[in-house]
Amino acid sequence: MIDSRVVVSVCIAISSVAAMALSADFDASVGSLLLTRCVSCHHAGDPSGELDLTRHETLLRGGASGQAITPGNADESLLFQHIASGEMPKEEGGHKDPLLKEEIELFRTWIDTGAHWPEGRVLDLFERTTPRRAGRDWWSLKAVHASPIPSLPGAATANPIDAFISLHLRERGLVPAPKADPRTLLRRLSFDLIGLPPSPLELDEFLADASPNAWEHLVDRLLASPHYGERWARHWLDIARFAETNGYERDAEKPGAWKYRDWVVNAFNSDMPFDRFVREQIAGDEVPDRNESTVIATGFLRIGTWDDEPNDPKEYQYERLEDMVHATSTAFLGLSIKCARCHDHKFDPILHSDYYRFASAFWAGPIGPRASQWLGGPTKEELGFDVLGWTDLSAIPSPLHVLAKGDVSRPLGAVQAGAPMCVAYLQKDFDAPPQGFSTSRRRLQLAEWITDPKHPLTSRVIVNRLWQHHFGEGLVRTPDNFGFLGRKPTHPDLLDWLAHRLVSQGWHLKQLHKLMVMSETYQQSSLHPDALACASVDAENNFVWRANRRRLDAESIRDAMLVTSGQLDLHLGGPSFRAPISDEALEGLSMKSGAYQASPLEASRRRSLYMFTKRGLIVPLMTTFDMCDTTTPTGRRDVSTVALQALVLLNNPWVHQQSRSFAMRILAESKDNSSRIDAAWRLALGYMPDDSQHKAAQEHLAVQRSRIMDRSPDTAEAEILSWTSLCQVLFNTNEFLYVD
Amino acid sequence: MNVSRDPRNQHFPCSITRRECLWDMGAGFAGLALAGLLDHVDHVDHDQFTIQGPNRRANAAELQSTLSPRKPHFHTPVRSVVFLMMNGGPSHVDTFDPKPELIRYAGQPLPSEKKFINSGGRSMGLLTPSVRPFRRYGESGLEISDFYPHLSRHADKLAVIRSCHTDTHAHGSALVQMNTGKPIIGRPSLGSWAVYGLGTENENMPGYVVMLDKRGGPIGGQPNWSSGFMPATFQGTLFRPAGNPILDLSGPASFDRAMQREQLDFLAELNHRHLSSRPGGSELAARAASYELAFRMQAEAPEAVDLSRETMATREAYGVDREPTAEYGRNCLIARRLVERGVRFIQLYSGGGHLEETWDAHESVEKNHGRHAGETDQPIAALLTDLEQRGLLESTLVLWGGEFGRMPFSEGLDKPGRNHNPYGFSMWLAGAGVKGGISYGATDDFGFEAVENRVHVHDLHATILHLMGIDHTRLTYFHQGRDERLTDVYGTVVQDILA
Repeated sequence: MIDSRVVVSVCIAISSVAAMALSADFDASVGSLLLTRCVSCHHAGDPSGELDLTRHETLLRGGASGQAITPGNADESLLFQHIASGEMPKEEGGHKDPLLKEEIELFRTWIDTGAHWPEGRVLDLFERTTPRRAGRDWWSLKAVHASPIPSLPGAATANPIDAFISLHLRERGLVPAPKADPRTLLRRLSFDLIGLPPSPLELDEFLADASPNAWEHLVDRLLASPHYGERWARHWLDIARFAETNGYERDAEKPGAWKYRDWVVNAFNSDMPFDRFVREQIAGDEVPDRNESTVIATGFLRIGTWDDEPNDPKEYQYERLEDMVHATSTAFLGLSIKCARCHDHKFDPILHSDYYRFASAFWAGPIGPRASQWLGGPTKEELGFDVLGWTDLSAIPSPLHVLAKGDVSRPLGAVQAGAPMCVAYLQKDFDAPPQGFSTSRRRLQLAEWITDPKHPLTSRVIVNRLWQHHFGEGLVRTPDNFGFLGRKPTHPDLLDWLAHRLVSQGWHLKQLHKLMVMSETYQQSSLHPDALACASVDAENNFVWRANRRRLDAESIRDAMLVTSGQLDLHLGGPSFRAPISDEALEGLSMKSGAYQASPLEASRRRSLYMFTKRGLIVPLMTTFDMCDTTTPTGRRDVSTVALQALVLLNNPWVHQQSRSFAMRILAESKDNSSRIDAAWRLALGYMPDDSQHKAAQEHLAVQRSRIMDRSPDTAEAEILSWTSLCQVLFNTNEFLYVD
Repeated sequence: MNVSRDPRNQHFPCSITRRECLWDMGAGFAGLALAGLLDHVDHVDHDQFTIQGPNRRANAAELQSTLSPRKPHFHTPVRSVVFLMMNGGPSHVDTFDPKPELIRYAGQPLPSEKKFINSGGRSMGLLTPSVRPFRRYGESGLEISDFYPHLSRHADKLAVIRSCHTDTHAHGSALVQMNTGKPIIGRPSLGSWAVYGLGTENENMPGYVVMLDKRGGPIGGQPNWSSGFMPATFQGTLFRPAGNPILDLSGPASFDRAMQREQLDFLAELNHRHLSSRPGGSELAARAASYELAFRMQAEAPEAVDLSRETMATREAYGVDREPTAEYGRNCLIARRLVERGVRFIQLYSGGGHLEETWDAHESVEKNHGRHAGETDQPIAALLTDLEQRGLLESTLVLWGGEFGRMPFSEGLDKPGRNHNPYGFSMWLAGAGVKGGISYGATDDFGFEAVENRVHVHDLHATILHLMGIDHTRLTYFHQGRDERLTDVYGTVVQDILA
């Protein structure tokens, strides 16, 4: 961020009262102050006090209180009086930040010497970043810079990622953690790439494979697994605010929403280029090679919430626009464009009109009042396929007006449909479609803009999402916000190198996954021999001097239990299953009978990805472990630690069933308790227990057995229950719930 | 006091792994258990937004859990809130907003200049006077209809707002708006904001409890007590009125408490071993500690709904042992016990499911409200009496109301019910911080729309937060580029009802 104060004070130092220098350097002095401290309110459009300070003519014209300046006489100038008295600039966001004395003097000198204003100079609110908000020169809006790979003597730089990471570590005197042990590595890689723990057999094979390519083979195998798509589809579904009902009063099912989910899975598995992935979701109905699959992809625009009984259906159209604008801009651009629905963005260079330019892409769609049987979307005739998708109802929709304060009753001018103007070098108005097209082709043009190889955000945002899921934190730690209020990249050079590489190699994600997990940075331990010293330099582990320890997410916890108990049904795709939900939890539904019918127990052995998500009733096991909200995009889930999670894992009937199945599996493995304990540890935690763990386990079994026998003399059942108890404890251990 | 996730504040030397600071500072396992459970929410004073120095040090106040009690913005006697939620929309002109003019206009249509949405396109009847007489009660002479023979004894405690209005006529969105501020789902509910802002006084209990009507949940379900974009830590916990009040509070019968204790001891042993090879693993320590908290909750939560130690007189006062008051009486009595246990926000639904099972009196106001008021009048009155006698009303705010009101006209000759009315309705507040025996604001002569001192849902929420010691403009949660508030950019505190 450029601090204008620095610029200004330097300027003062150099030329304290030299009027000539000042006028020559308007941009570095008064111009800069006007830009950073005044024009956020006094700009064209709806200037505060009717005083527009962006142009010379309007400055001279003055505002509601009269003439603003008297060139040649600061003391007689209203503008100067307001500044000198401290009245201006006004408090912003509860903070008073008056001008410095030197800055006030700068204004005095400027006015006293004639208030010179360079010919034709128009101050643009967003032309540059100020200490309070971003301009169009904000880091994420500048073109991706193909950073050279640093060459570091003596460092592990075979993988470019390691070269960049080493550079930053060295600069701070940090050294990376040693390589993690093989068990941890395999577990980490397996959860990261396919969302499932490795089997004991896989672990044995990996540990036995001494070849230098063992790790690479493993990476290739997991990336080729169909479960890779399942895992990464789940991350995308968070961002796509995916659920399978509308929400609200009837919370009706969106039929066929699962096909969109399967489309995402297939897209990841087939390594669909990311630009294509974007285009199909935004405009799969408008692409030249449109087919059923590309139309299913537009389900992205359909799966948000939909109120079938809005208070005012005309107003509700604008809520739907916001849903689509927000989902699209957050998912693909990491920008919160929705903030500009009512006014210019407070922190990012997004104009009020930019929101409507962007929203116009969706304006031709079925967002208005229609027969509720179409569930807020097009009919199958309009869509051309009997799937849940999106299309326009007209080629040339009515003009979309900017709404003052977002108020439907206060339309301002109509907007030219187009991309937001925040990327200075990538401006785009949407053209009307050629004759004969039934859609407005605005979404297609929006998608083309987003996937332009020169777009500064799209590649950075997706690369960062990948990084985050592999390393626990993104290079930008606010994956959905690359704007002023987001975090800046910890490694801007690496981020850009990865983004550039993604685009230059055809937008394929798998090669990036591979590059990341092949790096030594990825393979570090989460434990560092000199952790305290490193933490004193970088407590947040911004520079990745060790791996981040991560708790499994809700889906992985459930799936890992199913794998361990031997119950997991791995078949891919198709309609979702409805998980069993206890009667107590169903009491939250207003419609008791028929509102929720659980699938047969057999079906609920499938992966969590296939669990039906009803907006009015998220499965408690999932929401307790921080499954995200389904109404807006989520790029980073919360990770909470609360007592209710312990209650679920201790008491939930489904967890007990899994514990019992796990116990039965162990009991069938061997007749000998010692081998059984080995098997239990290997299955749940991936290693052989040592003597003290054996002893503790034997004691636990004995205590539980005797407690059970006290109540009932059924020895067979006592055997099963005591093992169930042990197995359940293993499910509750930190070792099970954390990757390492 | 403000809690913020504003990434601008995450320059704190150990903000992401603040727990590790605790660990390093020697608080260790026991300290963590005492400090409660931590998650990834950062605690930063709003007033320190601009402080970003890399050398900012941790101070003790910041090293607290997400749920530990926090100081409000300003002093307030209110420690708990009980929200008596009249699901379905009670008719204000038949309960707390007398409209004698309706007698004069009876049988006429609503004047045509009154514009409204006829929710559900139902049949439109003619203006219909209150089905029950109003009388003046207490020293204040506050007018209440005789749907409320018990509550009317507390007239001098009530501040009735007669000028409430909301944005939507449909139950689903109006309920969500009353609970979260906006008629769209996905935002944190009032109780979530309260716990987020103030923490809880008792970590062995959930800080935000919701008790539903046994006939069903409110339309829209979970989003009504969701924490929206905040961590799940702040969501409402559904509480059942008997046995094990919380979902998964107890396991299958085959595992008794002693067996579970053994499981926890074994678990602690395994976790301890794991942790000892991972120095600084404070998130691991916090999770291990959460099991002890869960174990205590298992004892304390059932005790909170165990009414066996309540005297017969108390049970009698609430009507716990007879119909039609048994269910709501029980819930109100549990609410008092939860207040005693330091639960921050308690919401009790009257009415569940749809139509006449709720206050949604389309068929007949007399029949519908007779039933629902009959179920709730005595329990609510008993709750106020009980809280007062125990000195708890001095620290408890009680509020009553539905998601909207009802129309002054019927749905037809044979249908003496009334349709939804978001344009004007009544709610009341009582207890700590509130003036008693007053009415505030007014609807027009018909009770059709709020016309004087209008109070929008945002204003109501601003007032409730204010009563809890929170400035609604300063309680913010940073989400996707924006400091979100319960009241968005709206809301004015209704100063005139504050004591």
